[in-house]
Amino acid sequence: MLISVNWLRDYVEIPDSLDVRALAERLTITTAEVEGVEHIKTGASGLIAARVVSIDPVEGKPSLKKVELDLGGKSARVVSAAPVLRVDELVVFAPPGASTLESGKIESTTVADLPSEGMILPGSAIGIPASDKDAIFCPPSMKPGESIDAKMLDDWVIEIDNKSITHRPDLWGHYGIAREVAAILGKPLKPYPVVDLEKLSDKKQSEVPITIDDANRCPRYSALKMTGVRAQAAPLWMQTRLGHVGLRPIDCLVDLTNYIMADLGQPMHAFDGSKIECIEVGLASDGNTFTTLDGIERKLSSEALMIQSNRKSVALAGIMGGLESEVAGETQTILLESANFEASGIRKTCAALGLRTDASARFEKSLDPNNTVLSIQRFVHLASAEFPELQMASRLSDAYPNTLADITVEVDPKLVTRTMGHPVNEKQMTDILTAIGFGVESKGGKLSVKVPSYRATKDISIPADILEEIARNVGYDNIVPRLPEVQVRHFTANPQHITERNALQAFCMGLGYSEVHLYIWYDEEWLKRLGFKPVAGPVLINPSAAGQAQLRCSLMPGLLQASDRNRFHADAFKLCEVGTVFREGPDSRNQSRHLGLISAKRGKGGDDDLFAGLKGDIETWAWQTLGGDLQYEHASKNAAAPWTHEHKTANIVAKGTTIGTVSVCPLALRRNIDEHLSAWSIAWAEVDLDLLHDFKVESKSLRRVPEHPEVEMDFSLLIDAGSPYATVNENLARFDDPLLRRVTYVGAYEGKSVPTGKRSLTYRVLFGSPERTLGEEDVSAVKASFEKHIGSCGYELRR
Amino acid sequence: MDVGELQQTLSKLHQEAKADLAATKTLDELRSVRSKYLGKTGSVGSLMGTIKDYPPKQRGEVGKTLNSANKAIGELVNEHTERIGSAEVAADAATSTAFDPTLPGERSRLGSVHPVTAVQWEVEAVFERLGFTIEAGPEMETDYYNFEALNIPPMHPARDLQDTFWLKNGMLLRTQTSPVQIRAMEKFGAPLRCIVPGRCFRYETIDASHENTFHQVEGLMIDRNVSIANLIAVMKLLLNEVLQREFEIRLRPGYFPFVEPGFELDIACLICNGKGCATCKRTGWLELLPCGMVHPNVLQAGGIDPNEYGGFAFGLGLTRLAMMKFGIRDIRVVNSGDLRNLVHSDRWAGPVILDKD
Ligand SMILES: [Zn+2]
Repeated sequence: MLISVNWLRDYVEIPDSLDVRALAERLTITTAEVEGVEHIKTGASGLIAARVVSIDPVEGKPSLKKVELDLGGKSARVVSAAPVLRVDELVVFAPPGASTLESGKIESTTVADLPSEGMILPGSAIGIPASDKDAIFCPPSMKPGESIDAKMLDDWVIEIDNKSITHRPDLWGHYGIAREVAAILGKPLKPYPVVDLEKLSDKKQSEVPITIDDANRCPRYSALKMTGVRAQAAPLWMQTRLGHVGLRPIDCLVDLTNYIMADLGQPMHAFDGSKIECIEVGLASDGNTFTTLDGIERKLSSEALMIQSNRKSVALAGIMGGLESEVAGETQTILLESANFEASGIRKTCAALGLRTDASARFEKSLDPNNTVLSIQRFVHLASAEFPELQMASRLSDAYPNTLADITVEVDPKLVTRTMGHPVNEKQMTDILTAIGFGVESKGGKLSVKVPSYRATKDISIPADILEEIARNVGYDNIVPRLPEVQVRHFTANPQHITERNALQAFCMGLGYSEVHLYIWYDEEWLKRLGFKPVAGPVLINPSAAGQAQLRCSLMPGLLQASDRNRFHADAFKLCEVGTVFREGPDSRNQSRHLGLISAKRGKGGDDDLFAGLKGDIETWAWQTLGGDLQYEHASKNAAAPWTHEHKTANIVAKGTTIGTVSVCPLALRRNIDEHLSAWSIAWAEVDLDLLHDFKVESKSLRRVPEHPEVEMDFSLLIDAGSPYATVNENLARFDDPLLRRVTYVGAYEGKSVPTGKRSLTYRVLFGSPERTLGEEDVSAVKASFEKHIGSCGYELRR
Repeated sequence: MDVGELQQTLSKLHQEAKADLAATKTLDELRSVRSKYLGKTGSVGSLMGTIKDYPPKQRGEVGKTLNSANKAIGELVNEHTERIGSAEVAADAATSTAFDPTLPGERSRLGSVHPVTAVQWEVEAVFERLGFTIEAGPEMETDYYNFEALNIPPMHPARDLQDTFWLKNGMLLRTQTSPVQIRAMEKFGAPLRCIVPGRCFRYETIDASHENTFHQVEGLMIDRNVSIANLIAVMKLLLNEVLQREFEIRLRPGYFPFVEPGFELDIACLICNGKGCATCKRTGWLELLPCGMVHPNVLQAGGIDPNEYGGFAFGLGLTRLAMMKFGIRDIRVVNSGDLRNLVHSDRWAGPVILDKD
């Protein structure tokens, strides 16, 4: 929202010596965020009003007109490009010798071979947004030749971030901002200038009948009928101010309502008084249509609140008037609406219609119902200066079925001081609150604070709200930072946090993986390339892009996509993601934290090495995290997802629980993604980290150095290729001899020296005794008996 | 052979050994020359076995002759051992132009955490040192925890500011880490000190400075007598530690339904040190984090008596902080999975000699 400093000066004395930027900074830290400050400098001098006497075309130049002007005793001929001019209208004119920053010094010149003695000034020269009229029209109260006071044209404009005042209905107008400025500067706020309608109205006149069907949606509706208005320009000071705050001047009546909206924050609507006899406020019928004054026919739902007259809709309440009852050029009587509408109803209707206006934006903030009458009083005050024939055509009609309750908040000054962490005495508190319109009474050590109506609609209701008023006016920068004094308390560690930090530390700070963060929704296009149809999972109503609605149930599609991206820039890489996967069902428990790993390398036939390397990484992590070994189970052959290999897939088992899967990407999948990937090897693993939360890290005793030397020997076993590792282990473990201390796995081999259909597993065996050093005979005896055991298991020794 | 011949042979062998040894360059060569002459089967060594072939009278002399020849060659070997040894020591110590001690080393490829994680851990470390626990919460959240319990009833205008990803199952993707405030209050009660790092989601159009998926860290401290002065002190400490610089900060009013009063916390612009520049829109300040004193309704929703306890809460944008700290200019990098943008590759590849970026 834009705030004109000239405008503020109507209500509070702002010293000329005060830098507006400094004032803006103070506003930012005490009230609302200022986004920018602009100095409007027009450099205008010598401007006068001029009456259009005649308008003639310029031959061969359709965009130009020959205009004769009455300058009050003198006349001037100019060639003008202003598109909308009418005879007898008054315009702002820059005669030779006048100047503005935009146009420079005006001189008599020749345009299209015609003399041009001056310039009909465009709005942009004095900070009014460009309009289709592109001339500035003066009100009829001005005389040709009358000079224009340049002082009102120069201004400072402060831009306030709308988001920072969503909770402050009072700040949507200059008077509310002026109240804050007055408090900041320690100056009095001038009373709001209005007229007393009682004095003006004729007691014999009737009221405009108002019926409100839904007092919740419309707590108050005030209206006044007036005659003696006409289409004319608003006073220049008003046009200038409106222009400076981004509202285009249109016509005195419209400008007046806009001015009051920007002044007090109260939207008003002027109906053509000849078309409205009474007011009914009620809900629309579902499916009805209504044409708003922008000419658009809108379909209504039964939630839309309508203003009707004799059951004929005339306005979309609080949002926009209707086309039919719009004030037109010939209007002489208006019915002025100044109402209060409930915020959320306006919000819902706006959302349903996809229509937001300056008025609705304000009603959405819960406006002060006391402003309805106040703004009518203000309107009459301003309008009577512009329309000499203005007369009341009705008494003030004011239906107020839903009165705003008074709010008084009891505040403990000690609590305020304690919560601020800064000493403030009762007098300071009282002064601060009084300056911004609160009533304060001291009662038995407590402050009884009466909230003004413009803060009472929803903004302020509890002591913490009052505290904020005090604290922000004391100034947060005056509070001295101090670390809290606390009681030590022990919190049980969050297992999710610990598990995830451990996993990332192991994989990404030692094992060579690079952590990535990927989106939590699937990309259908990508899934198609993978040939993957996910099981049902949670689906977004409003996805960020088409085909990205389903939430992921596995990290692998995303990681494969990232792999496909990275293969262009590296010959080998390892990726790691810790992220959430989802299951269908309206329960926040239907999600788990997974660990996803990828190890990829350019080159065919690297599967087995990558697979073994990846498993080794997982085992290293398991040692760090769980303090022990993992097991693998050959996973069943019905491959679950296309990235799972039919054969080279194992379940990862920790302490009897399957916690994940490790596999390699089959060639078929790699080809589906891209033919280039057929020359790559990719191993992957996915682990459900939530399953690890209950695992306790074992602290195993370290092995003692044997007192008597032990003898180490390697045995390579030839076994049937199909015979699983776990079975071999079980068989070896059955060997029971007091001299056997330890058997460890060394490695597997399939190759030249191993017959087809077989593979070789090598184990390292330690023989020894805690009591004595073994002799050669002991060793050969136990070795022989171990070899015999191997034979009895059906395994051959590879020599 | 008779003794005279033997002496001749030995003298010849001595000469040969002398020449062979002189030609040796390494200790290995020397060892093989040594065994060629002195080994069991060597030319001198093998002669030792012939002593018994001489008549007993001569055996003493032969033995002496052989021993002294053996010893003489042994001494030669020792001389040359020393020669080669000192030559090797000298060579080891000599300057080699082929060896540049200033070349970079060979680096281990240890891996890398995401820039956001790196910053997250720094934040966690600061708060752990202050006795805060680290909590976690679900990304698929209920309306209750994400909005209602945080004093944002249906149709509240604050819902507009947080465009939400809604799920067909009635849940939503959390728009902030704040729902974990309530979850933590329910879990621990008061007093409570926790932070919650995590991912949040907003239905927003993505561009260089907007993402629909980003990280925040929520902070919550509830105790008796927690003050605004405490909040400022903790925030100042956090930022100074994470950014490794002393910063000016300021609080100004900010509206968030779950705090009262609510603040926006600004830090003095990192680029211009508060003088005003394009980055800070000439204000000298950068908006960094929203914070405030926990609203009584929120305490109540978390089962804590607002008459007894109060506290502060804040929500720090981790993604923004990571971008500031690592100079990431385009937020889209963060979720791209493209390692070129996420990893200091020179950490592994080798030092950068020239960088025109
Ligand atoms: Zn700056």
